[in-house]
Amino acid sequence: MNRALYAAATGMSAQQQTLDVVADNLANADVVGFKRATATFAALGADLGTIATGVRRTFEQGKLERSGGPFDVAVDGAGFFTVERDGQRAYTRAGSFARAADGTMQNAEGWRLEGVRIPAGANKIEVAADGSVRVEIAGGEQRDAGRIRLTNFAAPERLRSIGSAMFAATRECGAPVTLAAGRANGPKIAFGMLEHANVSIVEAMMAILAAQRAYEANAKGVQAADEMQRIANNLHRG
Amino acid sequence: MDGIELMAGAMHAAQARLDVSASNLANVSSNGFRRRVAHATLSARGLAVSTTTAPEQGPLERTGRAFDLSAIGGGFAVRGAHGSVGYERSASFTLDANRHLIDERGNLLLDARGGLLRGGAGATIDPLGVVRGDGEPLGRLRLSSGTRIASGFLERSNVDAIHEMVDVLSAQRAFETAEKTLSAVDETRAKNVNDVARVKG
Repeated sequence: MNRALYAAATGMSAQQQTLDVVADNLANADVVGFKRATATFAALGADLGTIATGVRRTFEQGKLERSGGPFDVAVDGAGFFTVERDGQRAYTRAGSFARAADGTMQNAEGWRLEGVRIPAGANKIEVAADGSVRVEIAGGEQRDAGRIRLTNFAAPERLRSIGSAMFAATRECGAPVTLAAGRANGPKIAFGMLEHANVSIVEAMMAILAAQRAYEANAKGVQAADEMQRIANNLHRG
Repeated sequence: MDGIELMAGAMHAAQARLDVSASNLANVSSNGFRRRVAHATLSARGLAVSTTTAPEQGPLERTGRAFDLSAIGGGFAVRGAHGSVGYERSASFTLDANRHLIDERGNLLLDARGGLLRGGAGATIDPLGVVRGDGEPLGRLRLSSGTRIASGFLERSNVDAIHEMVDVLSAQRAFETAEKTLSAVDETRAKNVNDVARVKG
């Protein structure tokens, strides 16, 4: 049996998968709240090549940058914003929201931030580090407009991706835990800031180069296995 | 043993060497993988190939996640999906719904008493394998003797692509050489049978 041919082919498909994941990271390098992913592999049996063991997301903090949006928020620390759309709940680190007609804060895809409702006529919004939202309405009156709550999971790596920066809970990630923001050593809400993707363009480019070379090396393995098969077939010249 | 059998054995050996190199190349991105080495031994029954695992440590890559573990000079105990206990050199663990630690292959991390280790957010692991959450000991990893733990590091594959490419080439050439020799032996025999033994008439 020509095991080398199949082993080298598993290597080619592994590098292809790495390229797919890195390309996706690069494509989302400017998406607010995006978390980079890595494809992982393990050896397959004895000298039979490699097998993909999954794609793991790294929830490392992205850089916070002042954005100047009227209701931009970012999480400085652990946790996710809890959002809801059509009765479905999701979790995100992307805090680019705007006031919708019904007073709720929504992002561009129509996900509503839970726990916050901005009264009509509010002209100035202020979010404290603990997530409490205060608005100023006509006449300078201050009003409480709710509180942003953060949610975290025992295993955020096992959340399911449902968009570039949107995640849904799964059975494996553990029950959602509400986090209190604004405490010492705890997460804080940064108002007027957005969290960048935690993708490093340079690292991604290096990963692409490495994957390309490894792909070529495995392709040579396929060629060598094929060439040996050809020679073996020519043994019998009649 | 005649020339044809010997050379057929040499072709098998070259094929086995290629199998090993191709699989090593395929695992150039598998964390914790150690390359396999093929050894050929010549005996009265021809060439036999056996494989061993190269012992040298792969480069450690810093990830910063506490439960990305690498064992230096040994291994830490895990329980596999079918209940079997084994040792791993490097794996990336995350908490599962029961706060047990599970890696990407589905293995669960064991503590020193043979139970499943429980983790928590903000846990740290020291080089001796003691796990602490907020300063309180949560347990201790079960380690093979003499193992030190590097927490926040993953061991990359120790496959050197250049080395493996050279092996692929040399296996291919060895295969060709054996094939040429086999053909030469075959032609000599054909001459013996068809020409030398021909009765001149």
